[in-house]
Amino acid sequence: MSNSNEKTLTLPKRHRKASLDAKKARAGYLFVLPFLIGILFVYLPILIDSITYSFSNFIIEINEQGTPERVLEFVGFDHYNYAFTTSPDFVGKLVSGLQNLIFEVPAIIIFSLFIAVVLNQKMLGRAVFRAIFFVPVIIATGIMESLGDNMATQATQSSVEAGGAAAESATQTDGAEQTGGAQIISMLDVQALFANMKVGQELVTYVVDLVNNIYNIINYSGVQMLIFLAGLQSISPQIYEACKIDGATGWETFWKVTFPMISPMILVNAVYTVIDSFTRTSNVTMTYISGEVGRNLGQGSAMYWIYFLSVILIIALVGAIMSSFIFYQRRD
Amino acid sequence: MDSNKTVIRKETKNKIHVDYEGKLSFKERLQAKLKTSNTWIRVLVNIFRFVLMLGVSFVILFPFISKIAGSFMTKADVIDPTVSLIAKNFTLEQYKYIITENQYFTALVNTALLSLSVALIQTFIACLVGYGLAKFKFKGNKIVMALVVFTMVVPHQTLSLAIQMWLSDFDIMQPKSWEFTMGYNGIVGTIAQWIDPTKTQVSLQNSLVPYYIFSVCGLAFKNGLYIYLLRQFFKGVPDELEESAYVDGSGVFRTFFRIIIPLAVPMMITVFLFSFSWQWTDQFYHSVFFATQQEGEGVFLMPNVIEQVSISLGASAETDTTALLYKSVVENTAGMMIIAPLIIMYLFCQKYLVQGIERSGLVG
Repeated sequence: MSNSNEKTLTLPKRHRKASLDAKKARAGYLFVLPFLIGILFVYLPILIDSITYSFSNFIIEINEQGTPERVLEFVGFDHYNYAFTTSPDFVGKLVSGLQNLIFEVPAIIIFSLFIAVVLNQKMLGRAVFRAIFFVPVIIATGIMESLGDNMATQATQSSVEAGGAAAESATQTDGAEQTGGAQIISMLDVQALFANMKVGQELVTYVVDLVNNIYNIINYSGVQMLIFLAGLQSISPQIYEACKIDGATGWETFWKVTFPMISPMILVNAVYTVIDSFTRTSNVTMTYISGEVGRNLGQGSAMYWIYFLSVILIIALVGAIMSSFIFYQRRD
Repeated sequence: MDSNKTVIRKETKNKIHVDYEGKLSFKERLQAKLKTSNTWIRVLVNIFRFVLMLGVSFVILFPFISKIAGSFMTKADVIDPTVSLIAKNFTLEQYKYIITENQYFTALVNTALLSLSVALIQTFIACLVGYGLAKFKFKGNKIVMALVVFTMVVPHQTLSLAIQMWLSDFDIMQPKSWEFTMGYNGIVGTIAQWIDPTKTQVSLQNSLVPYYIFSVCGLAFKNGLYIYLLRQFFKGVPDELEESAYVDGSGVFRTFFRIIIPLAVPMMITVFLFSFSWQWTDQFYHSVFFATQQEGEGVFLMPNVIEQVSISLGASAETDTTALLYKSVVENTAGMMIIAPLIIMYLFCQKYLVQGIERSGLVG
């Protein structure tokens, strides 16, 4: 008797609870619906196409009616084989692109963290500096970036082609327009400086490259700075107060409080920087591959996918290594 | 001890002892301050920091300054090696050239309309998707988030050819490569044929529709980032807020529009600024969507201005280095004119950009 009673009592309850959850879940689906539709109807077909192109030859044939028709011919892994074994430059370009990536990412992370920490302090003209530092985020993309590239190539071309006064003026305007392109410090000076300091040649080269690339590094670290700034703002001031009372110096506070608290942001930024710098068109590998696509569609697509997979590998690696160092504040 | 006299005495390196009665005068306070060695270090650090910031700001701003300076030069100034920043013969002819002969204002209006509508759509869609991902535990939530990151990771350059093919024979849910092998027209193709038998395909090339399709689906440039940012923001919004609204009888969508959206305004402004300005300066999508554009066909946008400048000045530039230099200077001027409205907007909105992100309570 009592058993059956319990059943009749509990069943509707369970049912109602499930339906509420289902209702909420349904609302969740509604919210992400636009994106799901996009993925299913637009993105996936394009993605499949792009993968198919990398496995096939793209031929234009004249059919019986005499009109040209596009035909796909499946060739398997030929294009991938070509990219790794036959292509003269691809592997070299891929490696140098990835090297650049490894060189660029720590530089951007360190620089943007440093600037974010400085911009977070009270100082003279902070509002103005903040405004200036985020100019590249808004403006130095797309058209401006490609204009800069044009300038650099054109100026070097013209200085090679022309002699005399024209070449001189070309290099002059190049110097004026392209602070990043011109060498800020010369390798020889720094080598002389570091010659007796027993630091490795690699480190010297790295630092010199860094300084000469300062324009690009600043331009590419805008979003990262914003994310770091947000992270810094979310650290509660009580922790700093406690540190001050305990007599910690600024240096100690940074490494014992700020750095661990900001470490999740470092992971986010590392991943973002990897993505950002490898999808940039001015990237060595990207430029090379887009040239290849113009030459042979299938081979170019195959190269794109190889590049993409290697970067995914790097992101996974970065994520795996960094997530073991990350400190997550437990929140109740 | 004289009661009216202030005594400042140094006790240790970092400590001073001040005896005083009543108020300290400015001079006395200054004296007391200067006696601590800490003050000097602080002043030095401040100066160092200020100079460093100034230097970095200069690196950021110099290309713009030099481009603006170059825009006032005549052809003679451009090749004159003694002229670097300030023009000898001040002129506005470059501006005149771009405005009168390159339809600058047409491009301005078109681009403004496009960027505004696209940015509004993108912000709204990112808000929807971000909220859905942050607050609802439905099946496959994590998979959708992974897909968002995936769309961010796959560069659209990789897909650009596939996108072009897709646009030339627009259809939904069907890869073009299947069409070649199966000889099937697809859903949209079939409908088009049914309406007009001579047509078997719909081309969306050289139109603005793809921008809207990509925006509505949250697939446009860096939309993954916007979705991620807004998701992080919504995760920081306490659940109790919505729960109390639900208890009061408000539905999910009503709660979203009445309570959540107003809360998210600062973050939405940040996302809007990003998408607006990135759409404004976009060149890549323009080159994909308008790959086969003929002169005078379709909508005239900002990248067309630069294209036209480089075509009309490019003919003579092939042989003549002077013309080549002048061409790049005019191109730069066009670039500056393109971003001028953005800079004006940025001057007014930059504080919201930082504020939105600062208030977001973004955590990893």
